[in-house]
Amino acid sequence: MNNSLIIGQYVPGNSIVHRLDPRTKITIIFFFVFIVFFANTLISYGILTIFALTSMITSRVPIRFILKGLTPVWFLIVFTFILHLFVTKEGTLIFHLSIFKFYSGGVIQGLAISVRFFLLILVTSLLTLTTTPIEITDAIEDMLHPLNKIKFPVHELALMMSISLRFIPTLMQETDKISKAQASRGVDFRTGPIKDRAKAVVPLLVPLFVSAFKRAEELAMAMEARGYHGGEGRTKLRELKIGKHDILIYILFAFVIAILFYTRSY
Amino acid sequence: MQSTNRHSSKLLKLIILSLMGTISLVLFFLNFPLPFLPPYLKIDFSDVPAMMAALIFSPMAGVIVIGIKNVLYWLVSGAGDPIGVLANFVAGLMFVVPVSILYHKFKGVKSIITGLITGTVIMALGMSVLNYFFILPAYGWFMGWEMTEQVKWTSVLVGILPFNFIKGIVVSLLFVPLFMKMRSWIEQKQAKVAA
Repeated sequence: MNNSLIIGQYVPGNSIVHRLDPRTKITIIFFFVFIVFFANTLISYGILTIFALTSMITSRVPIRFILKGLTPVWFLIVFTFILHLFVTKEGTLIFHLSIFKFYSGGVIQGLAISVRFFLLILVTSLLTLTTTPIEITDAIEDMLHPLNKIKFPVHELALMMSISLRFIPTLMQETDKISKAQASRGVDFRTGPIKDRAKAVVPLLVPLFVSAFKRAEELAMAMEARGYHGGEGRTKLRELKIGKHDILIYILFAFVIAILFYTRSY
Repeated sequence: MQSTNRHSSKLLKLIILSLMGTISLVLFFLNFPLPFLPPYLKIDFSDVPAMMAALIFSPMAGVIVIGIKNVLYWLVSGAGDPIGVLANFVAGLMFVVPVSILYHKFKGVKSIITGLITGTVIMALGMSVLNYFFILPAYGWFMGWEMTEQVKWTSVLVGILPFNFIKGIVVSLLFVPLFMKMRSWIEQKQAKVAA
């Protein structure tokens, strides 16, 4: 089973992008995803592309990891491009091949959508490539902190996310172990009609649930024994801190937004 | 002593729901496509742990488990495609909530079977409506495709509707024998949680 899920897609490193505060990264990516839809001229797309590519290069994440993140979607990008090529009938006729007519509008729109999509995927995958899931959880807990005022259980939510993340490899191993044990007793998970395959999962799930409950009871007891008392007044092992790089990147990003809105056509 | 006990059972519940979310994610990865449907519509058993939690605690517990699964999936899969994650969350919710509401009201195997049928119908119809009005247009807007009426109708009638029906039936085929096997265990845990 795939052990790489422990850390998601994280690629360890020590670049500026890795060292940025996860809150900074999330904030910037959130706004980036939002403003990509406002770009509509060559220069506005250009400035966003430069920003994304610069972040990618400074993160020093090997290009093959980024391409791997793109594999599920590059088909969609190509498909969208081709669809626009054939369907959009705007602009001047640039190419004529028997029954197919390609218009400049189709090419431009297809390219624009492809670039937009590419930018979105590149930037969001850069977050998960340079930030561990646990860092992201910490950041989200911190960013949701104001919701505490309306009695929203922010700390409990973050605790649940951390526990879940921590137990992904453990429970994956356990699932693997149980399914092998049951397979050795003759349970067939892989072949047969769907109905039988669904039933074959029962002897896998029963021990999985029972042991998960046992594990939960042990963990709860261990936490209480060590004095866990909820979120109030709890200190942290990893403190989040805004550094000068973070401020710098905010200023830079503000410039990008300003240029984008200055150069886009209305 | 009394207050410590209550506190501890709250923590225990949090941890159980977290682990159920993790199991749900693991089962989510063990998915298989159906031979006659497009590859992005895959069947998985990730709703089963959520249903377990919903039966033992409350419908809300099931919703939390589905939520954890989807957020985890979104985090470990590289934070792409928020629409699909959201759609999966809503589908799970429509399937699990009816089952647990009926179970908590009437108890017993019969209520589970009725609940599973109701859940399947609600999920299949609900997801069809949601796809037609929100999800497909959202994808269309995202990619700049033109979603014509015809495209939407065919993808709903040929893809979404039969897929969700089959998914509901397959999960039910698993869940009924599972429930019968684990019934006394579930009731025992219920009593323990309520105490």
